Amino acid sequence: MYRRLLLALQSATLRLDTWVNRVLPQDFNPLYYTGGLANLFLTILVVSGILIFLYYEPSLEGAYASVEFLTHHVPYGVVFRGIHRYAADAYLVAILLHLFRNWFTDRYREARDSQWLSGMFLLVVSGFAGFTGYLLVWDERSQLLTSLTTQALRSVPLIGGWLERVFLGGPGVSDTTLPRFLFLHIGPAMTLYVLLWWHYVRLRHPKIWPPAVWVLFSLGLLFILASALPAASGPPAQPGASPEGFQVDWFFLWPYVLARWTAPGWALALVVALVVYGMVIPYTLRETPEQRGLRALGQAVVVEENCTGCELCYYDCPYNAIYMVPSPYPGKSRAAANRKLLAVVVDSRCVECGICIGACPFEALELPRMLDKDVQQRIRRGAGAAAPVAS
Amino acid sequence: MAAAPERMETQPRVVGFLCDWAVRSEGLLNPDDTVVGMPHVTVIRVPCSGFVKPGWLELALRSGAAGAFVCGCPMGDCLNREGNWIMEDRIDQLRKRLSRQKVDPERIAFFAYGLHEREQFLQAVADFVDRLRGSGGKQ
Repeated sequence: MYRRLLLALQSATLRLDTWVNRVLPQDFNPLYYTGGLANLFLTILVVSGILIFLYYEPSLEGAYASVEFLTHHVPYGVVFRGIHRYAADAYLVAILLHLFRNWFTDRYREARDSQWLSGMFLLVVSGFAGFTGYLLVWDERSQLLTSLTTQALRSVPLIGGWLERVFLGGPGVSDTTLPRFLFLHIGPAMTLYVLLWWHYVRLRHPKIWPPAVWVLFSLGLLFILASALPAASGPPAQPGASPEGFQVDWFFLWPYVLARWTAPGWALALVVALVVYGMVIPYTLRETPEQRGLRALGQAVVVEENCTGCELCYYDCPYNAIYMVPSPYPGKSRAAANRKLLAVVVDSRCVECGICIGACPFEALELPRMLDKDVQQRIRRGAGAAAPVAS
Repeated sequence: MAAAPERMETQPRVVGFLCDWAVRSEGLLNPDDTVVGMPHVTVIRVPCSGFVKPGWLELALRSGAAGAFVCGCPMGDCLNREGNWIMEDRIDQLRKRLSRQKVDPERIAFFAYGLHEREQFLQAVADFVDRLRGSGGKQ
């Protein structure tokens, strides 16, 4: 059932690709670069964030006024604020697309689980940084979000009170609250880069940028959006006020929309449950390749007699599953007799794609259940070396 | 290839490799690897287009095929991230090598078609066969 659903979603995802490919050349299909687009928007966020940071004053009295000063008096301040605001939206849209695309196209299991897990952490930290960004303006919306968060944290058993103090930087909203929010905005943003290292460490040549056309297009779009629809603050926060209606980006602040309708504690519990479920997604379907309708060809095996230590497989392996180690003994073939290095396959990282076999000119790598000699035989048969066909 | 009968000239033999993740292959192939409806085209399914050794394409030409091709996923959508880019690169190099050996590099082709593009794939193969026949087919 779940499996069938995933297959249907995969089919739909790829159908969407074919539609996009009808309009755009394959290399420019943005759906193939969701990760690169997310990284682009993150970079824009960091740069525009630094510029905003120069004018921001983290204090209860000064925060709102400093943001207003940036918006109305600093040259192009409103544009930078708008870019920071809209790039954050675009960033979250991009990582959500990235998540669903990789989920539905079966790129999350087995050897790829490290990327999935780091991606879930990236999602959580990004969402949190996006949320604290709303607090920094310190208008009525910030106040409402703060009070909802405080209620939710307080309802956590055992450590609720402690969490609330950590979040507010003191026993209640005080002069230390906004410096704490500023830290909770910039700290996670820096953590993202540590997590990105984890996200990339198993990948050779990760695609971290979209094609240049998309960089220019995205930048242009952000400039136009930021100028045409300037980001604006609500009324300033008042101590003791209880603001009512508020508009947020529902696609990542939906827990707050939910928290308005039910108890904030339940919204928090739901978010935690979703994140925990997200982390176990790679381990939910325990299937053999046969059950998945795949041919299990086995992990790549190095034929040690023939390996010359040329490193071609090492450079081509997309998942860094091949290591070059100092050769413990000489190879048998003439080309391998004087080798300095020997290729070793790390089984837990191998996805059985066979790219290393295509890279190896020395017949030193094999997929155990699709051997070179069998393929050669099938080629000879197909090429007509055996018997001609009537057509 | 003295054994080749006359009608072989009209239907040049082609050997291809098809990525498991590219075109949906249910009902596409006969048990002997030939494409249903195109007995002169043999397609060997591979786990990724990057699995194909350029030497295999050369072997196909040497063994009597008029042409050889590889079909991977749409560029950018390789399940293994870059198998089809790597393969496209290798085919470029193989073409250069073949032209130095006075072999027509147009006898090697690379296609990129996704799950839902079987018709386009079959059309591309048919066009490839036509091109081979136009250029004299089997040498």
